[in-house]
Amino acid sequence: MTSPPRCRSRRPWLVLVIAFTAVVVAAGLLDVALAQTGPFGVRPSGAPPPAPEGLVGWLLAKQAEFYRALSTTIRAAKQDGSAVVGLLGLSFVYGIFHAAGPGHGKAVISSYLVANEETWRRGIVLSFASALLQALVAITIVGIAAALLHATTRTMCGTDRVIEIVSYALIIAVGVRLLLVKGRSLLSAWQTIRHQPLPVPVGAAVTPSDHLHHDGRQDHHAHAGHVHGEFCGHSHGPAELTDLTGPGGWQRGLSAIVAVGLRPCSGAILVLVFALAQGLFWAGVAATFAMGLGTAITVAAIATLAVGARAVAARFADQRTGFGTLAIRGIELGAAVVIIVFGALLLGGYMMSERLVVVCS
Amino acid sequence: MLNRLFRCLIPALLCLSAADGTALAHPHVWVTMKSELAYAPDGSATGVRHAWTFDEMFSVFATQGLETKQKGVFTREDLAPLAEVNVTSLKEYDFFTYAKANGKKLGFNDPVDYWLEFTNGALTLHFTLPFKAPVKAPNIDLEIYDPTWFVDFAFADKDPFHLVGAPSTCKASIGRPNGNAASTAPLGEQFFNSLDASSNYGSRFANKVWVRCT
Repeated sequence: MTSPPRCRSRRPWLVLVIAFTAVVVAAGLLDVALAQTGPFGVRPSGAPPPAPEGLVGWLLAKQAEFYRALSTTIRAAKQDGSAVVGLLGLSFVYGIFHAAGPGHGKAVISSYLVANEETWRRGIVLSFASALLQALVAITIVGIAAALLHATTRTMCGTDRVIEIVSYALIIAVGVRLLLVKGRSLLSAWQTIRHQPLPVPVGAAVTPSDHLHHDGRQDHHAHAGHVHGEFCGHSHGPAELTDLTGPGGWQRGLSAIVAVGLRPCSGAILVLVFALAQGLFWAGVAATFAMGLGTAITVAAIATLAVGARAVAARFADQRTGFGTLAIRGIELGAAVVIIVFGALLLGGYMMSERLVVVCS
Repeated sequence: MLNRLFRCLIPALLCLSAADGTALAHPHVWVTMKSELAYAPDGSATGVRHAWTFDEMFSVFATQGLETKQKGVFTREDLAPLAEVNVTSLKEYDFFTYAKANGKKLGFNDPVDYWLEFTNGALTLHFTLPFKAPVKAPNIDLEIYDPTWFVDFAFADKDPFHLVGAPSTCKASIGRPNGNAASTAPLGEQFFNSLDASSNYGSRFANKVWVRCT
């Protein structure tokens, strides 16, 4: 069989760029994660760090502004029920800004999608499902602990801490699982390259190369486990086909949803407790869902971007030569490592998501 | 076309990932501070006294489920266990207070005289941080900030800082964080007055106190 014209050999530098990008993404995230070392790790010494500026600073300022307005709006809702509409709008916008700021949820979901070769549609579903779970967990904690049991803040902190540990351990588990699967794929891609004929000297026409590939012994060997992909590349090895895009995928997706969504947002808990104290628990519940909706939109947007970037990278990696496949597998492996690193740093307390200092020790 | 898209998408993704980390944190707790520097009769500074008023939402959260003798009224005794938790928890963060005498770092002992009061829906934590040893120095600098920005500190508009029992030759001035976009407080005249050779522009983001004795 002959390859369609668009499958002509790509320049090797493209593959290099992709491989390089994978390394940079992985290293960059690692660096970023380590740089977050807060009071639990190495204490920053000397001058205080500059407050975030630019876009991030603006996001944080807006977020703080909306958040602070929440308490006044809940109070207003006590007098005038129509203020609840404003409360919902405010919570929704707060959610959007909140998710655009720091938080491991986006990073883990994006890395998960990149590593797992997921579709953007799935990315959106994962984002919404984890945000919904997050809202439900916050409501459950406050509903049971505060409203029913009249538990103190200390008890709630303890509950929160346990959930946090379970959630971080789950993130690591999701990452390790991906690492194992992707490690195998990477090995398989590497072996395919090793079994391929030596590269034709630079300057040689493309056609003879194709000819060699398709008429050679490798062709038959390779086709045993091959599928012709959407981008005219060959997906290598049977593992990923059954394991990653098969029907059982939703169960794996569930593990990511739980890992990310289990840990409730501290802001939501504060809002719920405050609403409860004003005798407006239901308004707090509605606000929490509105917040979750806002969060989901931002996370979904970022997740879609991650999936898009991966698809473009896949397009450029000429998977036919094997090197492209190798690069893609490298990116996936890197993303899996990023998930593990995030989980480990969070679990070890070297990176904090949100902690209610002063009351939760 | 795709090539261009690829070149744009990856850096965009990198930026987003970076934003994820460098933004550190975002506050869920706002503190309005009134602080003092206390002096012994011999003119040496003995420690820092803080009165930190928490925001309404956090105050309600912190007092959730606390048993009180009278409903809705929190006495100092009712709040004692919470005050204990507060100071224990704050120790982990160095009480967010950093002191220097003539440029040299000063250590604090464990806090004393700590209690909480609940007035007008807001919780105020009072505590004193004694210096490891009383200091006699012409220049004492204080900084109050949360490096991870979980807690947003701001000096009160009224009476933000006092010297207690200080020699009459000592003057204090304060600097409020202004690089922080969340703070809407305008850059005070006091801030510029306090910008002397020893203050460094880079630390404008912390709540600063400069005590100068001539």
